[in-house]
Amino acid sequence: MNLFKRFSQRLGFMILTLVVMSFLIFLLVEIMPGDVAQTVLGQSATPESLAALRESMGLNDPLMVRYGHWAGKFIRGDLGESLYMRGIQINTIFWRKVGHSIILALTALIFYVPLSLFFGVFAGVKAGKLPDSIISFFGLATMALPEFVSGIILITLFAIKIPLLPITSIIPIGETLWENLNILILPALSITLVMFGYVSRMQRSSMLTVMNSDYIRAAILKGMPRGYVIFRHALKNALLPTITIIGMNMGWLFGGLIVVETLFGFPGLGSLTLSAIKTRDVPLLEASVLFITFIFVVSTFITDMMYLFLNPRIRFKGSDS
Amino acid sequence: MKNKSILEIKNLDVEYSTLTDKVVALKDINITVEEGESLGIIGESGCGKSTLSYAIMDYLPSNGLSNGKILFKGENLLEKSPKEQTKYRGDRIAMVYQNPYSSLNPSLTIGFQLDEVTMFHRGFSRKEARNASIEALKDLYLGDAAGIVRRYPHQISGGMQQRICIAMALLCKPDLLILDEPTTALDVTTEVVILDIISELKKKYNMSLIYISHDIGVINKVSDRIAVMYRGEVVETGSQHTIYKHPEHPYTRALINCMPRSGIVKEEVRLNAIPGYVAKRSAAETGCPFVSRCEKKTLICQENYGLKESKANHFSSCSRAYAEDVPDKERTRLKIPLENNVKEENILSIKDLYKYYGGPGKKVRALDGVSVSLERNSVLGVVGESGCGKSTMGLTVSGLLKPTKGQLIFDGIDIAVSWRKRTPEILKNIQLIFQNPGRSLNPSFTIETIIGRPMKKLLGIKSKTERRKMVIDILKKVDLGEEYLSRKASQLSGGEMQRVALARAFSISPDLLVCDEPTSALDVSVQASVLNLLGELQQESKASYIFISHDLNVINYISDYIMVMYLGRICEYGRKDEVVGPPYHPYTEALISAVPDVDPDSAKQQIRLEGSPPNPTKKIKGCPFEGRCHKKIGKICETTAPPKVYFSDDHFVFCHLSPGKLGAK
Amino acid sequence: MKTILLHLKNNPLAILGIMILFLWIFAALFGPALLSYNYTEMDMEHQMTTPGEYGHLLGTDALGRDVFARIIYGSRSILTVALMTSLVSSIVGILIGFTAGYFGSLVDTFFLRAMDILMAIPPLVLSMVVLGILGDSSFLSLTLIVSIAFTPATARVARGALLSCKGSEYVDAARIRGESHFIIMFVEILPNTIGPIIVEITARFAYSIMMIASLGFLGVGLQPPTPDWGMMVIENKSIIRAASWTVLYPSLAIASLVIAVSLFSDFVSKVMIHEK
Repeated sequence: MNLFKRFSQRLGFMILTLVVMSFLIFLLVEIMPGDVAQTVLGQSATPESLAALRESMGLNDPLMVRYGHWAGKFIRGDLGESLYMRGIQINTIFWRKVGHSIILALTALIFYVPLSLFFGVFAGVKAGKLPDSIISFFGLATMALPEFVSGIILITLFAIKIPLLPITSIIPIGETLWENLNILILPALSITLVMFGYVSRMQRSSMLTVMNSDYIRAAILKGMPRGYVIFRHALKNALLPTITIIGMNMGWLFGGLIVVETLFGFPGLGSLTLSAIKTRDVPLLEASVLFITFIFVVSTFITDMMYLFLNPRIRFKGSDS
Repeated sequence: MKNKSILEIKNLDVEYSTLTDKVVALKDINITVEEGESLGIIGESGCGKSTLSYAIMDYLPSNGLSNGKILFKGENLLEKSPKEQTKYRGDRIAMVYQNPYSSLNPSLTIGFQLDEVTMFHRGFSRKEARNASIEALKDLYLGDAAGIVRRYPHQISGGMQQRICIAMALLCKPDLLILDEPTTALDVTTEVVILDIISELKKKYNMSLIYISHDIGVINKVSDRIAVMYRGEVVETGSQHTIYKHPEHPYTRALINCMPRSGIVKEEVRLNAIPGYVAKRSAAETGCPFVSRCEKKTLICQENYGLKESKANHFSSCSRAYAEDVPDKERTRLKIPLENNVKEENILSIKDLYKYYGGPGKKVRALDGVSVSLERNSVLGVVGESGCGKSTMGLTVSGLLKPTKGQLIFDGIDIAVSWRKRTPEILKNIQLIFQNPGRSLNPSFTIETIIGRPMKKLLGIKSKTERRKMVIDILKKVDLGEEYLSRKASQLSGGEMQRVALARAFSISPDLLVCDEPTSALDVSVQASVLNLLGELQQESKASYIFISHDLNVINYISDYIMVMYLGRICEYGRKDEVVGPPYHPYTEALISAVPDVDPDSAKQQIRLEGSPPNPTKKIKGCPFEGRCHKKIGKICETTAPPKVYFSDDHFVFCHLSPGKLGAK
Repeated sequence: MKTILLHLKNNPLAILGIMILFLWIFAALFGPALLSYNYTEMDMEHQMTTPGEYGHLLGTDALGRDVFARIIYGSRSILTVALMTSLVSSIVGILIGFTAGYFGSLVDTFFLRAMDILMAIPPLVLSMVVLGILGDSSFLSLTLIVSIAFTPATARVARGALLSCKGSEYVDAARIRGESHFIIMFVEILPNTIGPIIVEITARFAYSIMMIASLGFLGVGLQPPTPDWGMMVIENKSIIRAASWTVLYPSLAIASLVIAVSLFSDFVSKVMIHEK
């Protein structure tokens, strides 16, 4: 009952967020300076042809009508036609790039989640000692660096000084990502560095809180061996908040992708979004930003549900609280 | 013939190093606990009681350093490797903590946390361990043991959680059980049950106990011998009888004398307050730890002291102060003149007051129809266990909460509204004293600003110099000097902070003061002086008090009238002497019997209440106390609300029982 | 003050961070006056000079512009914009967060939901899209947009700080004295939340530097000819193999500044926690 209520509340909120965000994105693009029709037809267009195009694109309709029209198409899966690349349906290029980005994000995830959880827990257990100081400083430094800075440092080290990996992550024409998996490594590592700092520091502090709690003291003074206390008593309580944070930050990760993909020229959602801005490709921009929001909302929702499920304090309602 | 000793602590010192300096937590502790003996350790907060228990477990914070010997059955625990330590902890020496809820892992079932103890120490299989756990729970009279093991800690009540913690400590039948304030977080009626169980199990398993508490009444119930600690030192040890009847150390005497207890009332005596407060101890300090607060001090106190055996089994670090003195506690008390109590008009009438929290379906009935009046120039004590609605009543009177329905007639005006709708005149006339003085004074402001602000706001005194003069005057009344003007709250001790709070309230001469547990956060030695001050200020200003406390002894000391509450309703109301003596409501009777006695020789009849108060979200048709009442008649208690029965003009109870059954003569 | 010095003594990394930060502030204030090159000046004879040659301390880029001079000038804009955004977003955050937390119930619920919705779009994406749409970024638009993008986060911190004090009895005492909401919020509560707020401002300063550098890198930050560290990196990315210094040194400049600020902010939060 409790769970179901939370589930439907969260689901409702997720949909609300998407609706509000889509409207905001739509509004934002509306205020973009310059005339869409002009952009499409170029500077030499005649006033008549401009007017005709505006009419055919529905640009003269009231705002809400256009929003409804746009959102309706979106729900049906029609992302519209690119403005910059005339005649190309966004659907035909968009999903392949989204796929690339998801693969990149997952690769990064596979690197940083175990690494940062492990080192975070380790630093938390060794709090105040040398390993903790080293891990904490390293985390602080990598967390502070923008993705492109760590990317440049990685390129200098592993592509120029030691020419192991490619400087750019471009997929040659006619090939697919699967044939060029080595291009994933440096971009994924750049993301890993930033996320490592963030997540490991979170993990360290939550581990520290748990290790200083009364129930851990009670477990140790019950004569349980230290390793057992850490694994059986501390870890579950200490991992729960961090896992939540990782989930909630999936959206953030996609923000970071824009920078990384731009640096490495990786053909993904991020570089697509940036080029949509640069070329003022309205439908493409709307689709990209909305998709980033969608990823965030969905991952938040999943994390929230997971948290509910893993936390006995919520799963089993108290008899007297 | 001496018994074998289980634990011998020799010359134990513990120091904490902080960023700025070193603080002495324990100094030269020498304690022996014999087989089957129970040692009570008493002291105020900051006296090193808890540090001592963690030092025995060799579990100090990383900035703590211990020095000395802790011999457990002849072996020095401080020299053990971490691996050897696990063999003692939880097996031979077990511990129970103050806060049961935070001592249980929230994400593991109770059964798991119990089972692992025997699985590790006894090598039991999962099944054997589970059986042992269930047996241990039954030892503690936990009914549905097989059901409890499958639950999580948050699903059971505080009293049950503490029983589980005790069961966990007893799983391996330890030689020594350390209990660190195990009942402080619990209500008295729960406390008394747990204390009984502890004494019973101690006999059953012939364990040695170390019982730590700030409450001498509690210590009396469970210990054979008492050690008094002050600022990191044991200043006196002896049997509980010796400590109470023939205390030698000035601190022990002062501590016993400053406690409110049954039979001590403001009309007859003033409490003996100890000046000053428990200060932190730096490494450089030498001499008697009590010297700065001691009224018997001489030059000798700086050098010549240390625990000496004055009589058989009675050790004291100051045998000089009272050597020639008759140990008469009453003599040291001041008598104050009895005031003729004339019946006065009512200043406040509460009529049918209700306060519900939460939304529909989950409505918590914090106040469920309370009607009571308060006379001018009198003190109404409101007593009850946590959740009985006493604080809610204080908050509605002071205006912080708006009642759901009902009337609050103050000076002829209905003030059953929130503070926002009250006139400045009323705001001025009703003042509130909070439980936690540290949180009631804004840490960013000086004392002058804190006390001056209500004068400016509610009395309209604009001139700063005039205000300063008034602030100095009022500070004098609460025994604080001019030097406090520019200090901030964080630079004061708890007692000083509460004095400032009192000064703030009295600076604008209110007619009614609501005191919400004003001394609960203070040490007993400080509590006495604040209670005295409250009494003096009341007599001088002729203001009325609503004095809310969970401590019946304090209520009994300060009040003229007492109201006993249970689950948002009144059980009993009357003049003080009428309420604390028979005939009384069964709940009042249980409450009085549960209060631990300061005098170890007092033999009081014990009433054990089972269970805990019912869920306040449920609508109660009959008597709220019916589920736990030891005098329950039958069906009528469950179905019909009890009638209001008057024993005298201003003494009534809500109960179905006839006055004769309630103890009337 | 004495305890701060004691903390510093135990924390050599914080000293290092503060020193680097001061170095950059010094560079931003006085550096340009001491330079022998202007940031737009093109040394046509010496394009892509390796560091140290022909008086170019950190070499020149493809157009022959002195990398060192551009880094020094660039420190001015990034420090000013980052400082402004951290202050603006914190102040706006305090106003919003305090109002929401103080009045509670519906106001608070509305605020929380609104912030949740706004947080659904990462601050970097939000700023990038808005700045990109608006076209050429100015000092003002950059500061404003980044501040807005940060506000949900700062408002949450401010709200949390307020809530930790709101339950205190001194607030109740002020209420039943009849104080106005404004006085309670900003005279009674604000001074007691200053610790977490200072921590937030310093941490926000580090985020701002990160963000502004990234926006510059994406080409939606300050526009040429203003030298911008992020922009220098992307401009020269194509010649990274031939002249790695044109990319590496601006990156290291960002790294040193942002790590220094983070160390400083970490130190501030440690001191503040200890003070409590």
